[in-house]
Amino acid sequence: MATAKPSRSMQRTRTEAPHLSEVAQAPHPRAGVEMTNADAIVQVLADEGVDTVFGYSGGAILPTYDAIFRYNEEHHGNEIRLVVPATEQGAGFMAAGYARSSGRVGVFIVTSGPGATNSVTPIRDCQADSVPVVLITGQVPRVAMGTDAFQEAPVFNIMSACAKHVFLVTDETKVEATIRSAFRIARSGRPGPVVVDIPRDVQLAKCVFRGSGTLRLRGYDERLAALDRATLSPRDAEAFFRLLGSCERPLLYVGGGVIHADAAPELRAFAERFGIPVVTTLMGIGAYDTTAELSLRMLGMHGTAYANYAVEDCDFLFAIGSRFDDRVAGKVKEFAPHAKIAHLDIDASEIGKVKAVDWAHVADAKRGLQQLLEAGRDFKKDFSRWRAYVLELKRKYPLNWNRESPRIQAEYVLSTLNEITRGNAIVTTGVGQHQMWAAQYLDFHRPRTWLTSGSMGTMGFGLPAAIGAQLANPGVLVIDVDGDGSLRMNLGELETLTTYDIPVKVLLLNNLGDGMVRQWQDLFYANRYSGSDKSLHKKDFVRAAEADGFSFAKRITEIAEVRPALEEFVQYPGPALLEVMIDPNAHVYPMVGPGMGYKDMITGKFIPSRDKGPKTTETPPGYF
Amino acid sequence: MENEFGVLSRVAGLFSARAFNIESLTVAETLDPTVSRITLVTRGDDRVVEQIEKQLKKLIGVIHVSDFTGTAHVEREMALIKVRADETTRAEVMNIVDIFRGKVIDVGPKSFIVEVTGDEEKIAAFIDLLRPLGILEIVRTGKVAMHRGARLMFSGNEESVQQKEEQLA
Repeated sequence: MATAKPSRSMQRTRTEAPHLSEVAQAPHPRAGVEMTNADAIVQVLADEGVDTVFGYSGGAILPTYDAIFRYNEEHHGNEIRLVVPATEQGAGFMAAGYARSSGRVGVFIVTSGPGATNSVTPIRDCQADSVPVVLITGQVPRVAMGTDAFQEAPVFNIMSACAKHVFLVTDETKVEATIRSAFRIARSGRPGPVVVDIPRDVQLAKCVFRGSGTLRLRGYDERLAALDRATLSPRDAEAFFRLLGSCERPLLYVGGGVIHADAAPELRAFAERFGIPVVTTLMGIGAYDTTAELSLRMLGMHGTAYANYAVEDCDFLFAIGSRFDDRVAGKVKEFAPHAKIAHLDIDASEIGKVKAVDWAHVADAKRGLQQLLEAGRDFKKDFSRWRAYVLELKRKYPLNWNRESPRIQAEYVLSTLNEITRGNAIVTTGVGQHQMWAAQYLDFHRPRTWLTSGSMGTMGFGLPAAIGAQLANPGVLVIDVDGDGSLRMNLGELETLTTYDIPVKVLLLNNLGDGMVRQWQDLFYANRYSGSDKSLHKKDFVRAAEADGFSFAKRITEIAEVRPALEEFVQYPGPALLEVMIDPNAHVYPMVGPGMGYKDMITGKFIPSRDKGPKTTETPPGYF
Repeated sequence: MENEFGVLSRVAGLFSARAFNIESLTVAETLDPTVSRITLVTRGDDRVVEQIEKQLKKLIGVIHVSDFTGTAHVEREMALIKVRADETTRAEVMNIVDIFRGKVIDVGPKSFIVEVTGDEEKIAAFIDLLRPLGILEIVRTGKVAMHRGARLMFSGNEESVQQKEEQLA
């Protein structure tokens, strides 16, 4: 199970699964073969190009696990790798890390009851960040459903509220087509998680494998086809360029939709062709090279001061695959107060959901940008004064930190790491201060190299996501930048690294508690650290890693140790943990308080602000 | 929507997850037995209703969504009302039922069940008139609605009656 050398199956999946029409032309080699539905499930997984499944076995899913074992016995050199986590949540985030870093559908397979309920968090996380995964859950046999049987849970009901779609397969003739449909739904349109709940007796039932065919989904298919046909009308294109032409200070506000649509090249072409600076959301990091001149990095609650000033000052804001999330827009009325707003998104329900727009087009970011580039061939407008202004913002209000403190500052650790990796690593994170610092201080040149739980903000995401990302990208440096609170949540997956010899690097920034919670308690709750101070906790992360078989597990406490330790850590060939004891009292700045406008941004002591006078940090009542 | 279990629960779940209220909901099979039709009444400003419509269109099993507000359409609901009917009130109940073109569908020694169909106002007026006579129980269907004239709502496409007739021919 070494990840260094890609197996044949890895190479096979570099290309997308064959299109259905091609399958129809050349019959599937196993078409017409009688098999159990469990075998059919595994065959469809293989046909869909799945080389790795994550999951934890149990009674109701045993037939399918057995089918994987038998499939692998018959397909030496082309196996479906099975990676077993410590808990099902870990499997889900591994599948998510696999999907986010590769763009392919991640798959995890768990048993009924607790296996399924432990999977709810990653499913909801994938839905919130539009990540394509397929989860197959075992269910108790059809006759036992609804009787409070052993390990029974109402998966359809629970997952319905969290997933893009859920199938409960009670018709034993529909398993094969359902699994195929699940993949199609997960990866098409706005991507998302699909759950397939299959009773044990349905898995065991015999079927005749057909080798092709999906379920009929009239409405969805028609809406997808409409999306594929979506063309920018000459009138809409004209309206767009009339808007752009009438403005002096345009800005691109880029979200995860650009990454999901593989539209980074088109975005770059667009920004460069028209000379427009770019801000990205947390989910949009990687869509645009953070080291490019036109990049202003991240906007929003903890965005750079210059990105947020540019949002304040712009008179045209073009939202591309982004959705005016509350962590971005803050006080909606005051967001980009001088700007005309244009919005390009694949999801019609995002248009006008938060903020009224002056121009909108529903299409995937790639096609939409291509068509705009095409339509704007002859557009001419010189925005060089605005670009010079924005570069001046970048120069005058850079990120900075407390360089005088005797304690190790997380910003220093991350900017040193950045000097070593130069943006050539896949980085995953937990949730909290370390996540924001990583977003601020690390560079990313390419999409799918920054993996973070953006919308749901799930602590514990980093380690399992890194495992999935490493398995999808053998040979690439994968670093989990984590916090002590977040790492603790899925600490069991440290053992998964050593079990499968997955060379993920875990950089633990330990501030002895939940730093972001403490930051809010400092600002809004008069320093009352209710439930967030862990300085008396006994956890020794280095010994925990050693107990799980890590041969590189180190703790550093001095500033002088940071650079040599990071260099050694990054170069270590196997799984490694480096724990850095950082200043527990540090805050993340800049900060736009919850529900506040950008004009109320606090930049802290070390980042210059263009506003005079201190900002109030009181939070408006009724907001989180 | 697809006539499969679970679609209705997804629709209802969408409303509860967003704290949108459902005032009434009816669901049944259509001309095409693989398709069922929900008529759902909700209330909200234009933005809320637009969001509801767009969110419904994101559900995989939903085939087509049409907002009837402001369109030329008819809507009907039905109510069954058990009303006290003894020697002294029977004639009056019968009288009201006649005026509203309702029907007495069950006669007991002390009560009638009456059936009435109509739009919301008619049913409300009917109930108001019966109330003083002693209503014992009410059960109401939700609303159903249909576009007037040539407009159809069929298999995901709104087609004209002419197209449909050509299809059937």
